[in-house]
Amino acid sequence: MQKTISFILDGQIKTIDFQKEIQLRPTTTVLNYLRSLPNHKGVKEGCAEGDCGACTVVLAEPGKNGNISYKAVNSCLIFLPMLHGRQLITVENLKSSDGALHPVQTGLVEKDGTQCGFCTPGMAMSIFALYKNNSDPGPEDIKDALTGNLCRCTGYKPIAEAAAEALAHREMDIFSLQEKETRKLLKGISRESIHIRTARQDYYRPATLRQALKLRNTCPDAEVISGATDVALRVTKKFELIKEIIDLSGIDELQDIADTRDELIVGAGVNLSDLLPTVRESFPALYGMFTVYGSRQVRNLATLGGNLGTASPIGDSLPVLMAYCARLMLENESGQREVSLDDYFRGYRQTVRQPDELITKIIIPRPANGTIFKSYKISKRKDLDISTVSAGFRLELNNGNRVSDIRLVFGGMADRVRRADKTEGFLLGKKWSRETVEQSMEILRREFTPISDVRGSADFRRIASRNLLLKFWSETST
Amino acid sequence: MRKVNYYEVIILNKNSIIQKIKEAIRMENSTHHESAQKHVTGASVYVDDIPVNNQLLTGRIVTSPFAHARIKSFDLSAARLLPGVHAVLSGADIPGENQMGPVIKDEPCLAEREVNFAGQAIFLIAAENEEICREAEKLIKIDFEPLLPILDLKTAIDKDSALGPWRKIERGSVDSQLKSAPHQIQGELHTGAQEHWYLETQSCLCIPGENREMFVYSSTQHPSETQTLVAEVLGIGSHEVVVEVRRLGGAFGGKETQANHEACWAALLSNAAHRPVKIRLNRDDDQMMTGKRHPFLIRYAVGFNDEGEILAADIELNSDGGAANDLSYAILERSMLHADNSYFIPHTRVRGRAWKTNYPPNTAFRGFGGPQGMAGIETVIDRISRYLGKDPAEIRLKNFYGLEKNNITHYGQTVENNRLFLLYEKLVKSSEYFERRRAVNDYNSENEFYKKGLAITPVKFGISFTTAFLNQAGALINIYKDGTVLVNHGGIEMGQGLNTKILHVAASELGVSAERIKINATDTSKVPNTSATAASSGSDLNGMAVKNAVGKLKRRIAEAVCEHFNKEAKGPAPSRADDITFRDDEIFDSKNPERKIGFSDAISICYLNQISLSATGYYRTPHIGFDREKGQGHPFHYYAFGMAVSEVLVDVLTGFTKILRTDILHDVGESLNPNIDLGQIIGGYVQGLGWCTTEEIKWDSEGHLLSHSPDTYKIPTVKDIPENFIVNLLEGYPNPNTIKRSKAVGEPPFMLALSAWLAIKDAISAVGNHRFEPEFSIPATNETILLSIENLKQKMQNAPATEQLSVPQPEQTS
Repeated sequence: MQKTISFILDGQIKTIDFQKEIQLRPTTTVLNYLRSLPNHKGVKEGCAEGDCGACTVVLAEPGKNGNISYKAVNSCLIFLPMLHGRQLITVENLKSSDGALHPVQTGLVEKDGTQCGFCTPGMAMSIFALYKNNSDPGPEDIKDALTGNLCRCTGYKPIAEAAAEALAHREMDIFSLQEKETRKLLKGISRESIHIRTARQDYYRPATLRQALKLRNTCPDAEVISGATDVALRVTKKFELIKEIIDLSGIDELQDIADTRDELIVGAGVNLSDLLPTVRESFPALYGMFTVYGSRQVRNLATLGGNLGTASPIGDSLPVLMAYCARLMLENESGQREVSLDDYFRGYRQTVRQPDELITKIIIPRPANGTIFKSYKISKRKDLDISTVSAGFRLELNNGNRVSDIRLVFGGMADRVRRADKTEGFLLGKKWSRETVEQSMEILRREFTPISDVRGSADFRRIASRNLLLKFWSETST
Repeated sequence: MRKVNYYEVIILNKNSIIQKIKEAIRMENSTHHESAQKHVTGASVYVDDIPVNNQLLTGRIVTSPFAHARIKSFDLSAARLLPGVHAVLSGADIPGENQMGPVIKDEPCLAEREVNFAGQAIFLIAAENEEICREAEKLIKIDFEPLLPILDLKTAIDKDSALGPWRKIERGSVDSQLKSAPHQIQGELHTGAQEHWYLETQSCLCIPGENREMFVYSSTQHPSETQTLVAEVLGIGSHEVVVEVRRLGGAFGGKETQANHEACWAALLSNAAHRPVKIRLNRDDDQMMTGKRHPFLIRYAVGFNDEGEILAADIELNSDGGAANDLSYAILERSMLHADNSYFIPHTRVRGRAWKTNYPPNTAFRGFGGPQGMAGIETVIDRISRYLGKDPAEIRLKNFYGLEKNNITHYGQTVENNRLFLLYEKLVKSSEYFERRRAVNDYNSENEFYKKGLAITPVKFGISFTTAFLNQAGALINIYKDGTVLVNHGGIEMGQGLNTKILHVAASELGVSAERIKINATDTSKVPNTSATAASSGSDLNGMAVKNAVGKLKRRIAEAVCEHFNKEAKGPAPSRADDITFRDDEIFDSKNPERKIGFSDAISICYLNQISLSATGYYRTPHIGFDREKGQGHPFHYYAFGMAVSEVLVDVLTGFTKILRTDILHDVGESLNPNIDLGQIIGGYVQGLGWCTTEEIKWDSEGHLLSHSPDTYKIPTVKDIPENFIVNLLEGYPNPNTIKRSKAVGEPPFMLALSAWLAIKDAISAVGNHRFEPEFSIPATNETILLSIENLKQKMQNAPATEQLSVPQPEQTS
C-alpha cells in the first residue's frame, strides 16, 4: 500500500506525505489545505458545510467516456486523500499565463456578476465546470449549476446572465490545450491502495472491493465514506478527530451502472450526477427527487450507497427508492445478501447491516408499464434544503380505476423512512377517486405522529403529508 | 464547442496579449465594479487573506450556553497552563473600559457577573491554532446559576422589560377620528428576525505596534467607532489605534456595530500576548453570537371611508431589541418614520418601544426598521381592499401623498419631488397590472390546487441618518509627483460599489482618467471621525466630501497653471484661475484653449513651485434635523421612491411559492452608475424576498438558536428569484442638491419585496374567494402558507352562507 497521495495542482504533480507534512492530516479538508498555501486564498470559507459554495473548486479526471470530466465540488467537504489521481483546479488557475481572463471570468466582470466578491471565486468555478461540460446547457442547467452557490449581494440575475454569456461563446481554453499533458501526469499516478497512518489517524483508500471488505472486517469501528458529504461535517462542524476511515471512492467495482431489461443496478459508489442521465427516462420519480437533492456540488460527490448507509429518516432518495421496491446488496468477506429496502431500516439511523458488511449495489426493478410513480419533497426552500416531509408513491390501477397496488412511503414523519401501511390498506381495491383519497387522508393523519423541529411543526408535517395524497391524486386522475 | 486547429491555437495565444491590452484599456474605461477583475481571479484581499508572519495567533471566544444566568465562579488556571495558549482573558483583565454599547453603555465587552443571551462572550483565548483554543476552552470551568430568560416579545411587554421609553409621533385627533370613521379595522402583524448572512463572517486581525499602538484590520462598516471602542477597551487614546478596511465580503448592517466586538476581542488578546491575533467567526458562531433584524409585533387600528381613504391610524410598533440597546432606538425611530410608507394619513399616532429579551442584541439591517414599519401599513391597505372588495392598487393610489396638498408626513416633513404617481402610472402600464389582475382571477377560478396572486407596492424611503450629526463625511486626496492620485474617504466598500462611484466622481471632477486614481483602503489615520457606511448614505456623503477636496486641489493647481501660462503666454489677456478647465488629463484655459498642459506636467510644476498637493474634503448634509421629544422635524435630506409589481404562484397543497414575474421601477435620480444601481435594486429585492419568504429564525424553548447555519437557515438561491425579472431605473428625474444629482440606492429596494409577500397573501386569499382575511405574517414560509390556508378552510366551513356574504365580493377593476 502506498503512503502518500498525489494530484495535480497548478499544472504540477503535488505529492503529500502526511508523515512529513505534519501540519496536514488525512482529514484536513481541501479548503483548509488550499487556504494554508500562499497563492490560493481565492478559495473562501462561507459555511464549512457544503451549503454556500464559496469554496467551490473543480476536480478533473478522465471520465468513463474518455473525455476529461470537470466537476464542481465543495472543497470544505472533501478530505485531501480524495484528491488522489485527480487534477485540482482553483479560481487562481483560470487565467492564462499571460494574465488574460477566462471567458467565465470576463462574463462575470462584463455582466456585473460581482459585488462584494466573496462568493465570486466559487461562482466562477461552478460556471467553469459547466463551461467545460460538453453538453449544451440551457437556462435551467445554468440555474441548476449555480444552485449550490449562495450570493447575498447580487440577487443572482447578473450571475446567471454572466454564465449564459460565457457559455454562448465557448472556445478552446487553456485547459483544452493542456489536456494531453494533464492525462499524462494523471496516468503517472499510481492507482494502488493507500494507507495513510499518522500518530492519531488511519485513513484507508482501498483500490479493490476485496481489500475494502477485508478492512471492513478488521476495522469494524472505521467510518466508511465515499463522497463524505455527511461524515465531513463531523470534522468541519463538530471538530471531531475521526480515528479510522475507509474511503471507498477509489474502487472501480463500485462505480458500475448496469441497465438491464428488468432492473437498474447501481454501484454504491456511483455519484448522483453520474446516475442522473440514466434514470431520467425510466425512473422519472427518482430523477425528480435527484434534481432537488442538495446541489450540483453535493451530487457530484454524494452516492446512493452513502444515502442508504446514513439511513436518515429524511434521506432524500429513500422513500422513492422504497416506492420503486429497490433492494440493496450487502457484502462481507464471506459472501453477499440482498435486502429489500422494506426490511432494511430498524430505527433512527439503524439498519440490518452488520458491522462487517458494506453496501455494494442498489437494485431497482424496472416497473411494469402503467405503474405510476411520484416523488415529493417539502422543504422550506425548494432547492438545496433538507426535507421537512418527503414521499415516494407508487400506484397501479386496474381497468375499473381501482387501486390494484399501492405504496405510500414517507420520510420525515417517523424515526425512519416508513410506508403508510394502514392508508395503503384502506386504499387497496378502492376506486381512485377524490372521495376515497380524502377519506384516506384521515387515516394517514392517525398513522403518524411526527415531531416539531427546526424544519417544521408537527402540525405542518401532518397537513403537508395529507395534502401530498391529494396532490398525488390530482396529478394521477384523469 | 468550436473546434480550433493547432495553427489557430498559436494565433490565439499570440493575440491574447494584444487582447489583454485591449481588455485592460476597455475595463479601465468601464463602469463595472472597480474590483471586479480582482474578484473573479480570487485576488481580492479580505481580512482573512492578509499575509501575516508566523507569530500569528488564533483568537477564540468562550460564550454563554445560557440565555440568562448568573456567573457564580470560574477557573481559568488550567486553560492558561495548556501549552500553546498565550492568553486567556476575562472581563477583569480588560485594561480599559469593559463596554461595547455604541449609543447606550449597556453591553459589556466580556460578561462578568451575568449573561443575558446564549452566545454572549465571557472569555477570550489566544493560542497557536484553533485546535489548541478548543482544547483550552474545555479546560475552563464556569459555575452558572441559570435565571429565567425572557424569550418572546409578548412576555417582555407583559413584564415591562424594556430597553427604553415609549416614543411617540402624533398628528391630529386620532381617537375621535377613529371612532367617527365609517369603517374600522384592527389587528396585529408579526415580522420575523433576519440573519444578515454576509458571505464573509465577522473577522478581525490585530497587530500590536510599538508601545501601545494597535493596528486593526477589521471587517467593519464603521471603522471610526471600531477605533474608539478598541481604544476604550485598551485604555489608550484613539490616536494610538489605526483601523484599516480594504473591503467587506458583504455586511448589510450586520457589521455596523457588531464588528466592533471581534475587533475589541482581537485587540485585547493581541495586547495581552504582544502578538498578532486573528479572530474569524465560523458560520455557526457568527449566527449564534450576533444580532439580527429586529422582529416586530405591530398593532394597528385604522379608520377609513367607503372609498378606502385612510382617515386615522393608531399604530404601535414593538420591537424585540434583544439583550442590549445596540442601535434599537435608532432603528425603531426609522420604523416610526416609515409607518406611513407612501400614504397620507390625516390623523396619525405612531408609538414605539424596544423591548428587552434574552437574545443577542438585534442590530442594523438594510432598511433599518423601514421594512417593519412599511409591512404594517401595507397590511392595513391590503386589509382595507379586501374589506371593501376593491383592488389594492386602487386603494394605494387613493392614499398616496399628494403633489400639492396632503403632502406633509406625520412628523411634519413635506414630501417634495414626489414620484409616486409617476412611478405608479408607468409601472401599472408597463407591467400590465390590471390585465394581469383579470388573468389571475381567471386562473384562480379555474384552478383549485394552485392559486396565483398579484400585488403592487410602493416605497418612499427617507435618506439621511435620523441622528442629524452623523450626516458628515471627510476625504483626503494626495496627488503624487508622478501625477497619480490617491483618494481616501471615510466610506466602506462592502460590495455596493461605493469605491467605483467615488472613483468616477473623483475622475470626472478632476478631469483625469480613472487609471490615474486609486481608491485607498479606508483608514482612520487618513480620514478621522467618520460615520458608519450605513443609511444608504455612502455615496451621498463621501462623494460630496471627495468633490470638496478635489475642488480645493483644482483651485491650487489652476492658480499654479495660470502663473505658468502667464509667464510664457504672449497673448493679450493673462489666464485667470476661474477659466482653467480640467478635462481628459489636460488642463487648459477655456478662454484661450491653446494654453494647455498635461495633467502630469502641471503636477510637476506645482511641486516645483512648492504647492501642496494634498487636500482634505468635508461635507455635512444641510437643513436637516429632527426633534425626538416632539416627534417633529425635517429628518431627511430627500426621499427615494420605488415601486414593484410581483406575481406569484402558490401550490395550495404544499405551500411552495414561485415568483412568476416581478417588475420594478426605481428612482435613483440621475444614476451615478446604472449597472451598480441596478445591482443594488435586484440584490435588495431578492434579500427582501428572503426576509418575506424562506428566512426563518428559530430558537428552542431555552433561547438557543436552532437555525444557526445554512443547513437550516435558508436565504434565496438562484432558483428563488422571479422567473421573469424586469428592473428599470426611472429616467429623467434628477435629484437636486446631491452628488451629481443622484439618489441613494442601498436600502430602499429591499422593501419592494413586500409586493411578493402581499402577492402570496393574495393567492392564499383566493382560496377563500377573497371573502376572508387570511392569517399572515413575515416570513411567509410554506408552513405559514399551509397553516393559513387550513385556517381559511376552517373559516369557510364554519361561516354560514349569509355571513359569508356580509363581506363584499371583490369586483373586477380595471
